[in-house]
Amino acid sequence: MKQNESIVMYVLRLAGTLFLITAVVAALLACVNAVTAPVIEELNAAKTQEAISAVLPGGFDTEITDFADETGIVSKVYQGANGYAVEVGPGGFDNTITMMVGVDNEGKVLGISIVSHTETAGLGAVAAAGTPKGIAFRDQFVGMGAENDILVEKDGGKVDAITGATITSRAICVGVNAALDCVAGLG
Amino acid sequence: MEAILGILIAALLSQNFILVKFYGICPFMGVSKKIDTALGMGVAVTFVMALASAACWAVDVFMLQPLNLGYMQTVSFILVIASLVQVVEMFLKKFVPALYKALGVFLPLITTNCAVLGVVLVNAQNGYHVADAWQFLLSVVNGAAGGLGFTLAIVLFASVRERVDKAEPPECFKGFPIALITAGLLALAFMGFSGLKIF
Amino acid sequence: MNFKKQFMEGLLTKNPVTVQLLGMCSTLAITTSLFNGIGMGLAVTIILTCSNVLISALRKVIPNQIRIAAYITIIAGFVTVVDLLLKAYIPALSESLGVFIPLIVVNCIVLGRAEAFASKNGVLASAVDGICQGIGYTVALVIVCVIRELLGSGTFGGGLLGEGGAGIRIIPEQFPAMQIVMPVGGFLVLGFVLAGSQALMKRMNNKSKKKEGAK
Repeated sequence: MKQNESIVMYVLRLAGTLFLITAVVAALLACVNAVTAPVIEELNAAKTQEAISAVLPGGFDTEITDFADETGIVSKVYQGANGYAVEVGPGGFDNTITMMVGVDNEGKVLGISIVSHTETAGLGAVAAAGTPKGIAFRDQFVGMGAENDILVEKDGGKVDAITGATITSRAICVGVNAALDCVAGLG
Repeated sequence: MEAILGILIAALLSQNFILVKFYGICPFMGVSKKIDTALGMGVAVTFVMALASAACWAVDVFMLQPLNLGYMQTVSFILVIASLVQVVEMFLKKFVPALYKALGVFLPLITTNCAVLGVVLVNAQNGYHVADAWQFLLSVVNGAAGGLGFTLAIVLFASVRERVDKAEPPECFKGFPIALITAGLLALAFMGFSGLKIF
Repeated sequence: MNFKKQFMEGLLTKNPVTVQLLGMCSTLAITTSLFNGIGMGLAVTIILTCSNVLISALRKVIPNQIRIAAYITIIAGFVTVVDLLLKAYIPALSESLGVFIPLIVVNCIVLGRAEAFASKNGVLASAVDGICQGIGYTVALVIVCVIRELLGSGTFGGGLLGEGGAGIRIIPEQFPAMQIVMPVGGFLVLGFVLAGSQALMKRMNNKSKKKEGAK
């Protein structure tokens, strides 16, 4: 406290300074956000669009909102001439993996693509990578149907899990199963 | 119930905040030379993490989201945490002086413990920040469970470290290097839990 | 202010990671590929320099009692700016570092330098300090990254070089110990890097002592 300063002035001076700093910071952030928000939104939209066209040839016409989902991880369903693209979010090793599963009109997997994830680099992240290993992992789901549960080899299924990333591989199987069941429910 | 049990097991063992997720390493290395101080730090952090989860849930749900100020999350959360730590400090000083004395030195340090900000940001990412009593409960449980995971790790680490300190490592490994290697071995043990999941 | 001395301090004798033991969380958590290490290092360097300059400029205006709250607000502001810019313009990096970008707010390097240096020194010296400490942090991160990536994934330059960002393979695929990429490896590798830096500094001390003895 400075000399000759009343307690009220003292509190006001502290609070005022802090308020001023916070206000300036908030204003700065608002400006930056105004610039970046449209760019980020565009990026996200482009990413979803890209993921859909990667798994559903011909893209989609409509978004279906009244779908049945027992697992609670299906977030969006898009319908196109060649089938469906289902956005699912199974829990991976670290956090939710957001992925798009393409399903044709016969209920078979057309392809999968990972939209976003936070899996470990070099292990779980391989599932999403554009490397030969990652592409091979994702391609093995193509043609699988809902008649059997899709499982990794360790659990008695046919999916060859990524080395050292069984949990990530399992999560992706869970996602694909949920997408197939959801599409089957649409009839 | 199952969801809560799942969160507890994940935060304590399979997704331990320190040994698997790497939040809060600074206090983990800094305040782990003795078991009792480690325990004190653990309790204080658990308390603050649960409170911070509740407070930030409220700030996000009732202020930031309605006003569309998502980009202010980091700034407002850290301010909430900083003031919360201050309030807890003043409260303990006035009403529970014994506990304040035991924790005194560690309290201000909690603000810069990234486990606290980490758990709040993870809560927001996990979609717990929705105006719904159940989601609120999940946030708080996740905060408290994260704190318990922190406590478990730091107490285990401190008890190993007390012994390691008496050993004679090679000259250049003295101090922090050997402590980090001890932590590495502890993390190796926790890797055994990594498949554990209850849904 | 002696630029060369500050630079050596940041790089080696007072390196934020290996000597001051600050910012351990990010050092351990994100050092799994070269891309991550360089990205995180640059992000922290930029934030550290900006916050150092602003805090140093405001050091006479901010009352002592609320300085920590004021510093943390300023730092959080810069961190959010960097976070938003990364999300918009380098989304790959923002995704790969995830929650550890906003967590730079509580990275003790930034607050530590604000409190220990910027609040007591001029603007120019603080800017130099921010850059030097940032470079020291980046170098330490990159060393840990390179070792972990090489031993854990058997590659170099993950996220930057090679086909689809897989990195250049150095060790054949069946040999690397993937545990090194996992948390265990983080602790172990950092432990060995710290031991190495302690040994190096001791040797340098001995040399300079010998020199003095010879005089």
